[in-house]
Amino acid sequence: MLFWQILIAGFAISSLYALGATGFTLIFGVTGVLNLSHGAIMVAAAVAAWAASESLGVGSYLGAVFGVLTGLLLSLTTYFLVVGRLQKSRKIREEEKEIFILTATLLWGIMIQEAIAYLYTNNAKTVAPIVEGVVSILGVRTPANELFTAFVCWLTIGALWLFVNRTRVGKAVVAASMNPRGVTLLGIELSVVYVVVWAIYGALAGIAGVLLGMFFGVSSYSAGPLTASAFSIVVLGGLGSVYGTLIAAYVVGYLETLTAYLVSPAYRTIPALLLLVVVMYVRPRGLLGRR
Amino acid sequence: MTRHKGVTLRAAGMLGASSIAVGLAAGSFAWAQDQGPIKIGVIAEAQAISGSSIPLGAQLAADEVNAKGGVDGRKIEIVSYDDHSSSAESVRAFQRAVNEDHVDVVIASYISEVVLALEPWASRLKTVLVTPCAASDVITANIAKDYERNKYTFQGFLSSSALSQLVCDAAKDILVDGLKMKTAVIMSEDAAWTTPLDAGYAECLPKIGLKVLDHIRFSPDTTDFTPIFNRIEGEKPDVIITGISHVGVQPTVQWKSQEVPIPMFGESVQAANPTFWKDTNGATDGVLFQGEVGPDVAVTPKTLPFVEAFQKRFGNALSWCGYTAYDDVYIIADAIHRAGSTDSDKLVAALEKTDYVGTIGRIQFLPQGDPHVHGLKTGAGFITGLLLQWQNGKQINLWPPDLAKGKLEFPSFVKIGATGN
Amino acid sequence: MLRRIVLSPPVWISLIVVVAASTLPLYVSGYILGLLTIAYYFGVFSMAWDLLFGFANEVNFGPTFLIGLGAYTAGILDNLYQPPIFVCVAAGAFAAVTGGVVLALPALRMRGPYFGLMTLVAVLMLQNFVVVAAELTGGEIGLTVPDVISIDDKVNYWIALGFMTFSGAVLYGLSRSPVGLILQASGQDAVQAGALGFNLTKHKLAAFVVSAFFSGLAGALMVFYLGAASVGTFIDVTVGVQVIIGAVIGGRRTILGAAIGAVFLIAMGEALRPLGDLATFIVSGMALFVVLAFPGGLLGMVKGAREAT
Repeated sequence: MLFWQILIAGFAISSLYALGATGFTLIFGVTGVLNLSHGAIMVAAAVAAWAASESLGVGSYLGAVFGVLTGLLLSLTTYFLVVGRLQKSRKIREEEKEIFILTATLLWGIMIQEAIAYLYTNNAKTVAPIVEGVVSILGVRTPANELFTAFVCWLTIGALWLFVNRTRVGKAVVAASMNPRGVTLLGIELSVVYVVVWAIYGALAGIAGVLLGMFFGVSSYSAGPLTASAFSIVVLGGLGSVYGTLIAAYVVGYLETLTAYLVSPAYRTIPALLLLVVVMYVRPRGLLGRR
Repeated sequence: MTRHKGVTLRAAGMLGASSIAVGLAAGSFAWAQDQGPIKIGVIAEAQAISGSSIPLGAQLAADEVNAKGGVDGRKIEIVSYDDHSSSAESVRAFQRAVNEDHVDVVIASYISEVVLALEPWASRLKTVLVTPCAASDVITANIAKDYERNKYTFQGFLSSSALSQLVCDAAKDILVDGLKMKTAVIMSEDAAWTTPLDAGYAECLPKIGLKVLDHIRFSPDTTDFTPIFNRIEGEKPDVIITGISHVGVQPTVQWKSQEVPIPMFGESVQAANPTFWKDTNGATDGVLFQGEVGPDVAVTPKTLPFVEAFQKRFGNALSWCGYTAYDDVYIIADAIHRAGSTDSDKLVAALEKTDYVGTIGRIQFLPQGDPHVHGLKTGAGFITGLLLQWQNGKQINLWPPDLAKGKLEFPSFVKIGATGN
Repeated sequence: MLRRIVLSPPVWISLIVVVAASTLPLYVSGYILGLLTIAYYFGVFSMAWDLLFGFANEVNFGPTFLIGLGAYTAGILDNLYQPPIFVCVAAGAFAAVTGGVVLALPALRMRGPYFGLMTLVAVLMLQNFVVVAAELTGGEIGLTVPDVISIDDKVNYWIALGFMTFSGAVLYGLSRSPVGLILQASGQDAVQAGALGFNLTKHKLAAFVVSAFFSGLAGALMVFYLGAASVGTFIDVTVGVQVIIGAVIGGRRTILGAAIGAVFLIAMGEALRPLGDLATFIVSGMALFVVLAFPGGLLGMVKGAREAT
């Protein structure tokens, strides 16, 4: 009984982690940017969905759409306002651009977080779920919302896979991650590729954020831990490798769930962190990393 | 040589700019006045729902007192500080309030850890500190341990042990006599205020006939409550007795989403907020919580007029702490009037003689010699608290019986008596 | 060469500023002194960070790992056994150095973003530990220590100023010494520096140790100034960001710029306090602006085109 509980609960949360981390790894893989405002964008999407369905009274579907759009917009703003400018800047040496981008995205994330706290207090908000009620699976009473979450996550990841492997734009994106110069030689505007990637990232983060909001709820405080969790997973799986990220997300998700059930909810995040430390000592590339 | 000169000039300019920044900070607060208004510093958590009501409630009281001529002709001025829910920041705010802004008294916080960090500073800087909403027993225990040093602190709120007793009193009537319940699990967040609360529960619940099957304490930054609810369900208690404040929305929403068939009863501080229904998208339907005040419940003749005035002026963000902060300003004003001065030692003596009917009941502080010295007197005739339940978007009071406005109602997934323990 | 360092403009300007600053308690209010006291400690945090980043080119995203270790060790020790304050402070510095070495040894072997990530992970682990071991550490909301160095604003101010001056002198001197030059070389072109025969790892480790020592020491002293410690004051990533931003907007690789940047940030933060919650938002916004528009920082603007950005 406990086994099934863990299996099912772990699956939903791992799927959610997978979606969030995939966006993060995509951005790194293609543009080389570690976006430290990741968690803040997810939280903003969730809060936007909540605010829309609450204050504007549009109901949970439209609220969710609103949330995803917010994620998209914020992501593009991040690119145009912060990251893009630094990448093109002539005043900074190449080797130093990374630290500036890291710092700038961190600051930007803090700004978003504080704005949310200012407008809506730091209290947790849950987004009105699209799916309610419980379903009994193998004797485990599971909120239907959990299944919905896992379903949407995989649907999105599947769509992403199709996009990357089956469409021209998608293939250009992958190519750009491997060889930016080569892509320009083919006549494809690199800046267009970047905009596309950031837009996709925004949508991914937005969907992940809204789902998280429905599942657990978010508060302005969640932003930091979400970013931390995303890059822990990404580093574990290997920076830039989507498959690695997916696997790592499930490893982390299940580690956390097992700990919460078998040991204590208070120590939930510890084993994953320990694993991360071990991996960084022993195999810094991560499971499937290529850099 | 020219190069150095240029650098020097510009360096001076840069330093000048930094000095201006510092000067700006200074200039904003340079107007310290020692005669004239009575200054009350209010340190609270502006971004938290419970904390944000504190400065507002205080301001309302100050304005009302001033409208009637102030305290012996002197106006009350509220100086507000946001401590971002951090002890270290609240200490900084306190130092600033006393040393720079020269406040006469400080009203601070709903978080026990914050008040505990401020207590020694109240003694070091000899300034009266009143907390409108922090519940830990340790606050008054410290005063009992060293009265001369810590006498400057007053707890304007029910202590955790008092709260647990009030919950037990209500549970006896509603759960044991009313629903014939026999077993309970205690579920609370790991924080300073819940340690005496849980100890109180562990003691009083068996006395009213509820056997405690388990006692779960979780970290205040828990976001996933499913393992906790699963564990509780496995133990099959009749009721979950709660002690939560820092968390509220998430466990409640997950309780509903998972359709946990066991009711929740006890201390759920956020549930007392009128906005809680919206915050949880209605998941709080059926949750039972202890409160000092409730909608349309006239605990005293002052309660409802205060609520009306507050909502007219500030909108709906009124939590418990707003009521007590409002009362505290009146109490302080009254003490200053009786003492004839704002001298801290005289104020302490005057405050100890407080006998004031506020919005939550008749307020008196326990005297020296009592283990909860400078805490509130509780019980019939003083402060008893209420027991409310969320039903269909409204908070309905169920206890004490003479103030009850409705009957017990649970959502369909809650099964009473089905556990058969 | 010592003569050249001492007589250079940055040094004697700094000396003048320090002397001027030490007279402030005579005519400035307690509030300002308190503000500057905190700012000076942050100045040390940022200077220690700059030694590592600016020179060794190692992005340390977790300066608060070291600061937090120093602060909490000192605080917990005082809570448990109440030894004299200087013992607690020394213990704090020692803990920070130990932690720094444990972190640095494997981390320095890594290239690219991994070092930075490791440092961030270290902060998270410390944060988790503090929250989970709440019995010992006071958890999320904080720890109160029974002793403070002094309740007199002036005394605290002079201690902070003196400490910052001393740390600044040591760190600046180190940065301009042969060791510093080697670090700088290794930062700019590791391969060539290595080819010249310098043991880079040893030098970077030394830089890390020094950085850790001052960070931990400053953290411990600050605990005994505030009388309290909390995750939000010493460990949280946002604190680390403040430290880094202070150094970056002051002008990285200048040490002194870091102190200026830190003081500027804290002063701005307090000046905007009446705005309440928006204050952090605005300060972050300003810092972001500086990062985007003036990568050379405040001091970089002073030195003009000569600063090789």
